[in-house]
Amino acid sequence: MELFERVMCVEDDPDIRLILDFSIGRMGGFSLCLCESGAQALDRVADFKPQLVLLDVMMPEMSGPETLAKLRALPVMQGVPIVFLTAKAMQDEVEALLEYGATGIIVKPFDPVALPQNIRIYWEHGRGKPA
Amino acid sequence: MEPILPTEESLQVLVADDIQASRLELMRVVRELGHQALEAASGEEALRLIDLHHPDVLLLDLLMPEMDGFEVARAVRQRITGKWLPVIVLSALEGDEHFAHALASGAADYLLKPVSPSILRAKLRQYQRILSMQARLALMVQRQHAIHEHIADAIITIDAEGRVCELNRAARALFALVDSQDPAGLELKALTGMDLTHLLGASEVDLGPSPQSKTPFSVSHNRWSMGHQEFCTIALHDLSESRRIERMKDEFLATVSHELRTPLTSILGALGLLAVGAGGALPDAAMELLQVAKRNGDRLSQLIDDVLDLTKLEGNRMQLNLRPVELAPLIREALSANAGYAQRGAVSLAFVDEVRACRVQIDPDRFLQVMANLLSNAIKHSPKGKTVRVVLTQSPHAVQVDVVDEGPGIDPAFKKKLFEKFSQADASDRRPVGGTGLGLYISRMLVEKMGGTVGADSGATGGSTFRVSLPCLEQTHSGPWILCIAQDRQLLERMADWLAEVGTVEVANNLGAAETLIRRRGLPAALLANPQAQGPAGDFCARLQQLLAPQRVLLISDALNAGFAARYGMGWLSATMATRQEIMGTVGALLAGKNKGLGDGAI
Repeated sequence: MELFERVMCVEDDPDIRLILDFSIGRMGGFSLCLCESGAQALDRVADFKPQLVLLDVMMPEMSGPETLAKLRALPVMQGVPIVFLTAKAMQDEVEALLEYGATGIIVKPFDPVALPQNIRIYWEHGRGKPA
Repeated sequence: MEPILPTEESLQVLVADDIQASRLELMRVVRELGHQALEAASGEEALRLIDLHHPDVLLLDLLMPEMDGFEVARAVRQRITGKWLPVIVLSALEGDEHFAHALASGAADYLLKPVSPSILRAKLRQYQRILSMQARLALMVQRQHAIHEHIADAIITIDAEGRVCELNRAARALFALVDSQDPAGLELKALTGMDLTHLLGASEVDLGPSPQSKTPFSVSHNRWSMGHQEFCTIALHDLSESRRIERMKDEFLATVSHELRTPLTSILGALGLLAVGAGGALPDAAMELLQVAKRNGDRLSQLIDDVLDLTKLEGNRMQLNLRPVELAPLIREALSANAGYAQRGAVSLAFVDEVRACRVQIDPDRFLQVMANLLSNAIKHSPKGKTVRVVLTQSPHAVQVDVVDEGPGIDPAFKKKLFEKFSQADASDRRPVGGTGLGLYISRMLVEKMGGTVGADSGATGGSTFRVSLPCLEQTHSGPWILCIAQDRQLLERMADWLAEVGTVEVANNLGAAETLIRRRGLPAALLANPQAQGPAGDFCARLQQLLAPQRVLLISDALNAGFAARYGMGWLSATMATRQEIMGTVGALLAGKNKGLGDGAI
């Protein structure tokens, strides 16, 4: 049975990256690849082969949805759940985000203690499914 | 129309007389009186000068060769449109009939020749006053018209028949009418595409010259009357600019809330991680301080959400994702989401479901938000060891969700303000779990947007109940609609249950209620009726016959039999003995139009 071990997080805010490092990496025990931009994520995705990507929506230069579209086009990303991390939580915006092909949405501020379990649920629910 | 104001001091008087001597004499008198004089030696010349100089008064000799005074007076009457020209006819002729004839031809007045200067002065002064008054009136009308024309809103005035009387410039532009086009008499519907009740009933409408170019307008109107005639003036205010500003405001708020949430994510994230020892074990005192920071961070986060919701709700820009849902599972979800909070406050949660399946049209996420507000409120005010109960009950057209706590109850003085903005029972109520003061207000607005109501009450012995009522959806099962009439509730429930697979079932206790349903939904495809406690069975059946073709009616009764039903052309089954199979089979056959063989074959 496939083990869930590798998570990629794409987030431009360094403090939130640190929180993600603590939450998913040190507490959750995942092997974590922290990226500060969509471009960096695209660079590293082939080597790291994430099993789930946590993707910030509002980022300078390449936005979350743009990054998602580019990631989805890569063979290595087929069937890999991508979950948006967003501070925008209005209902209509959530639905618009899901339409980009995300597996789910985690709203900021999130609970760092519950986050590892939450991404596990998304992985179990979304892995292997075509976008 | 250009009003020419005669100066108070002098008038321009045209003297028309073919006899030079009497013309000059008259002009001398006019000038002596301080007025200006123009002269015309014939009727034709008089008319030409009138067109050229627009005199204020015409002194007109009646007896002139070719075109006489009568003819000139008639021509003047026909000619002058914008401004009234008083014509004073002059004649040496004795006899009233000439003057009567002249007045009938359009003259305003007459003078006997030779003209008495004092009478002429008095008359000219009189006309001066009238002319000046007229000019002022004309100016006033012109100004009112200009104001009406320049109102930025589109103004439409219609008569009692809904025909357009007047449109201002903005209204003509809105409906792309050119200025030369007289809109008077146009039907309102032809103009706006909407009839009056529709237009006035809406608070907002999309209007424009074509379906492709429509803009939102707010509608306000006033009915008024003049004499016996009724009018309605409608003002249409273009909302596109305010919409644009609202959008900017929304975008601004979304940005602000995003910018606030980003640092909060780090703050709350760091605090949450510290609290579980991610940074190493903390002494108790540090932990206590940490909890203060965390709690207030949570509260700030809630406040940001609430303010954003509030702005959208108050601006009527919140989009709800309404869909038919079952309430009970949602309530269970709400209870489980708030279980942790209840546990921390040592409060138990309980759910009492007294409703058979009932669906409501709501936004599930927003309903959960309302429940979270009511539950956290109830938990917050519950003493340790007490229970917060959620009770789901149903009345004929609505379901009620009651959140009942065993707290101190609601201060009667505060009850009225409970669902208002920034209301908290006690300004000093700064308990560690204090809210934002917006929760109940937002809950009320959300429930109202979903077509429901909220309320709150206190028991005599304390404890409070917060109630959300939501209208029940009509059964949305597909298939034909079947009406059941009976006083016996159990019978109704059994029939509704059994027939739910066949079609949409609605129940009524009596014929009155049945008629109301029929008025609302149209005729049912089948009608099941129990005549018990509905008055004489014969009368009841006769009225059923008037309601629906009897071959679509099935009597369910133990007091009557198939023979009785057959007399009215209806089917029959026993109320107590008929099985589910029989009822479904018989109604199915009846719906298919195969009414023969109903009951025991007595038809």
